[in-house]
Amino acid sequence: MRAGAIFLREARLAFAGGGGPAAPAAFFIASLTLAPLAIGHSPATLQAAGPGVICFAALLAVLQGAERLFGEDVADGTLETYGLSGLPLSVVALAKVLGTALATLWPLPLVGLGGGIAFGLPAEAAGMLALALAAAIPGLAFLVAIAAALSAGARRGGLVIALIAAPLAIPLMVFTASAGRAAGLGDAAASANLLLTCAVSLFVTALAPFAISAALKARLE
Amino acid sequence: MTLPDFDPLPLTVSDLSLERGGIPLISGLSLRVEAGEALVLLGRNGVGKTTFLRALSGILRPASGDIRYGDVPAIKAAPAVCAFLGHDNALKPDESPRQSLAFWSKLSGMTANVPGAMAAMGLKALADRPSRRLSQGQKRRAALARILVQNRPVWLLDEPAAPLDAEGREKLSLAVTAHLGRGGLVVAATHQALDWPDARIQELTR
Repeated sequence: MRAGAIFLREARLAFAGGGGPAAPAAFFIASLTLAPLAIGHSPATLQAAGPGVICFAALLAVLQGAERLFGEDVADGTLETYGLSGLPLSVVALAKVLGTALATLWPLPLVGLGGGIAFGLPAEAAGMLALALAAAIPGLAFLVAIAAALSAGARRGGLVIALIAAPLAIPLMVFTASAGRAAGLGDAAASANLLLTCAVSLFVTALAPFAISAALKARLE
Repeated sequence: MTLPDFDPLPLTVSDLSLERGGIPLISGLSLRVEAGEALVLLGRNGVGKTTFLRALSGILRPASGDIRYGDVPAIKAAPAVCAFLGHDNALKPDESPRQSLAFWSKLSGMTANVPGAMAAMGLKALADRPSRRLSQGQKRRAALARILVQNRPVWLLDEPAAPLDAEGREKLSLAVTAHLGRGGLVVAATHQALDWPDARIQELTR
């Protein structure tokens, strides 16, 4: 249950120091509010662009806290202490990313639901999009965490994280947005896309801790 | 509360060479530290004291040579036997010493010695103050208390006393003596005098 202790601590620290879910949620809402001003306000345009815009804004919201994820642990010596805790670093990474992600990212599917309705999607399409977002967010959080571990301690790490994470996020972007779009058209491909989102997200969640561990080990030496 | 003694676990370093960023720092170093013994590493800035401690902790791979705790190479043994205090204190600004120590104690599989460690480092009055409002010396005390709650036989301390006042150094010295009395061992790097009775001195030179 030592991994549980890390999970709880990281969730607590994300609330205490990082404002918990406020920052990613506010970022997500702000992007969704601004997007219609840029792409035009005709209902047909908004409805067509909605799922894609919402997925992309969700990725940006997940990226928003990434630099702090491992950067602070490297800077303050916590990473070394975790490395000597006797737990494998992959377990530390799993507990840490899950703890932080659950504490900070849980409102995003709800914001996505509200955003879908505001963009004029039918209720079942907005609901499908929110479900797909909920499925995609663990995967997105772990992809971003890989990038954060690779760039931990680097100057201007935030930029590097975005450059590494963006191409890795392509499959999740495609399937999540397609689930929302297909549901809007009443197309049966919606649930297929939702399942594909789940599959990719689970795949990433299962493998990312090992990649993060390798990146952190290289950083420690 | 008294904790049980450690099983004796000597540290053996044989023909060790270390480099940092391609620059050779330490070459052909051999030494042995017995359980119950403290070794103080002296040497000027940049001679490789920190690098040596990181190698002892298994974090850094030696360029050549061998480090063992008992019969086990450091890279394998260290996560189970070493408590490492680096230059940085591994404290989180929004966490109080009590929360931080409770966490590290849980992570090390111990649950009962947090109040004892806080008392040993004189942290009682600061227990619930977030770390961002502690002074440098108080942070160092909190970090040393973390070494105590981790309850490992081997302490690797990098400049443990640098920001400490006289009282803090006295408390550190008492903690080290108690640790050695339980059969633990301590390796500390410093460039200032540590008034630890019976500590062996090892001068590092290029």
